[in-house]
Amino acid sequence: MLEIKNLQVSVEGKEILKGLNLKVNKGEVHAIMGPNGAGKSTLASVIAGKQDYEVTGGSILFNGKDILELSPDERAKEGVFLAFQYPIEIPGVSTINFLKTAVNEIRAYKGQGPMEAKEFLAMLKEKQKLVQIDTNLTGRAVNEGFSGGEKKRNEIFQMAMLNPQLGVLDETDSGLDIDALRIVAEGVNKLRSKDNAFLVITHYQRLLEYIVPDFVHVLYNGQIVKSGTRELALELESKGYDWIKKEFSEIPA
Amino acid sequence: MSAVATKKDTSAKWLEQFELTAANRLGAANTSVLEKQKQALAEFAKTGIPDKKVEDYKYTNIRLYLNDEFALKGAATKLRQSDVRHLFFGGHATIVMVNGRFVQELSSLKNLPREVVVKNLFSTYKETESGAGAEFNSLFTEKASPMALLNTALAQDGISINVPKGYNCVGPLHLLHISIGTDKVLYNPRHSIKVGEGANLTLIETYRSIDLGEKTFINSVTEIVVEKDATLNNYILQEEDAKASQNNVHQVSVGESGKFNSVTVSLNGALVRNDLNVAINGEHAEIHMHGLFIAKDGHLIDNHSLVEHNVPNCFSNELYKGIIADGGTGVFNGKIFVKQDAQKTNAYQSNKNILMGENSTMNTKPQLEIYADDVKCSHGTTTGKLDEEALFYLQTRGLNEAVARKVLLGAFAAEISDTVKDTAFRTLLEGRLQVHIV
Repeated sequence: MLEIKNLQVSVEGKEILKGLNLKVNKGEVHAIMGPNGAGKSTLASVIAGKQDYEVTGGSILFNGKDILELSPDERAKEGVFLAFQYPIEIPGVSTINFLKTAVNEIRAYKGQGPMEAKEFLAMLKEKQKLVQIDTNLTGRAVNEGFSGGEKKRNEIFQMAMLNPQLGVLDETDSGLDIDALRIVAEGVNKLRSKDNAFLVITHYQRLLEYIVPDFVHVLYNGQIVKSGTRELALELESKGYDWIKKEFSEIPA
Repeated sequence: MSAVATKKDTSAKWLEQFELTAANRLGAANTSVLEKQKQALAEFAKTGIPDKKVEDYKYTNIRLYLNDEFALKGAATKLRQSDVRHLFFGGHATIVMVNGRFVQELSSLKNLPREVVVKNLFSTYKETESGAGAEFNSLFTEKASPMALLNTALAQDGISINVPKGYNCVGPLHLLHISIGTDKVLYNPRHSIKVGEGANLTLIETYRSIDLGEKTFINSVTEIVVEKDATLNNYILQEEDAKASQNNVHQVSVGESGKFNSVTVSLNGALVRNDLNVAINGEHAEIHMHGLFIAKDGHLIDNHSLVEHNVPNCFSNELYKGIIADGGTGVFNGKIFVKQDAQKTNAYQSNKNILMGENSTMNTKPQLEIYADDVKCSHGTTTGKLDEEALFYLQTRGLNEAVARKVLLGAFAAEISDTVKDTAFRTLLEGRLQVHIV
């Protein structure tokens, strides 16, 4: 589904990703771990299509299509979703209202007509239940006055509504207490299917206790330096990132 | 650009016409109004049409939009009610002004409660009872602006609305201004609104054009008195043709425990200049002033406001928001005066603008002068581009850039349109905003 080849990305002339390779198949959950500054969030932003990043080399194929050529909304319409690390507040725009627009824009892209109001409401109700988010929150302006946990839950709620093929979760666990973490993780688990995939970006192993990954990759210094299964995450948890840094600091960029 | 008028030219030409028509206009019955008009004309002649050298017009040179090529009267128009009906809404009682003149036949006053008295302002001055015309120009205690003086001098038509003491006028009153024709004309409509003690009124003013073939200039003055315990909601939609310009002065006096809520939405017009001057003359009065403007390429929208806290224990809040397209210009000047006696004043002001292009210009100037020591006052202004982070966020949800932009600008504008209490007008506004926000 997702195939990243030799991806090189710079921000303001500074090289952040230095030849990253990653392949994600349908039905898989991949975790990307790594120390601060390794390029984890850059990877998430580049997949979603943020403009501040300059792709200097490599490619990202999504279902065989080069998505680097696509605008952020076209990527979303193709089935890519980014759950933000820091979801922003948008005064005056209610989550429900813009999701109605989003759902219909995506449907139009696929050649489908707008969703019936009744159908939309039913879906809304179902997905709200899934992530245990109140109509009170989704009816309000996006994230305005939300707690950290509510913001993250709202991200997962939006993901549930848009039903993407690939969900990229950028440090969704940061700033969450254990209860909020569990609710968010349960939401993701309910969305897992043989037809979709998730890229879970995290600094800590904690989230992976709830969202159990098929593969774990260690991102360091702009490259994936180690890949393994769930055990790799546990090893990182017990040893910290220092051994990775020691082992790979000599690698020429 | 047409020739810039000189002080001498404008006053001389228009003065001549004034002399010719003065006698027929008012008849012998009212010398006091005529006297005030003469004085105003003499005063106006000192500055003429204001240009950049006049401080309050620093960013708005009226001479670029108005000169002595403009006649004071256009050719007669033959509008029927079927031609203007599409500009009515909500079943509201509607007063129709065409090219600055009240047209009874086009108006729809069947829903007007009989308690509310609507008349041609100048016909009331012809009435022989003593004191007729005493209220004319009585609210301009400070020196009036040159454009207000020009209106005072040349006004011949307009509306007088009187809501009697204690009367709660449930349905809004719609004052519809239509510009039409193929002549270069200056119109000087003059209105007088009085909401009596304990009475309520919602007055909606709309400014529209029908097949406008030439530049026009509406130079309007509305004198408003909100008496003790009275409430006036004053909603304004300015959506004229791109050839039309207007200078619109609202001179307001609010009495004890009176409430004045204004919402001014300016969506189209070569020049839209608004002067909203509110004098708070009674304690415990409450003032809310909201404004929203979209300045398009080549258009200039200028909102000047003045709030005078003359007495203690009053509240005023002001929020103006602007969207300035590439090539458009916006001006905001908000003055708040808190007089020495006006202790316990709460006065707030905010101006927020979004610049849409490289060549968008916004000139904003908050101006607070506080002479009392026990007050709460604040002002703030922000001018910047549309939030890129918010734009990206919405795009990652599948909204293309144009749709995302429209959603964000719509939300920005809704903060103002949401303050409109009349559902029919709010719906009209929302529809017009959909058209103008691109």
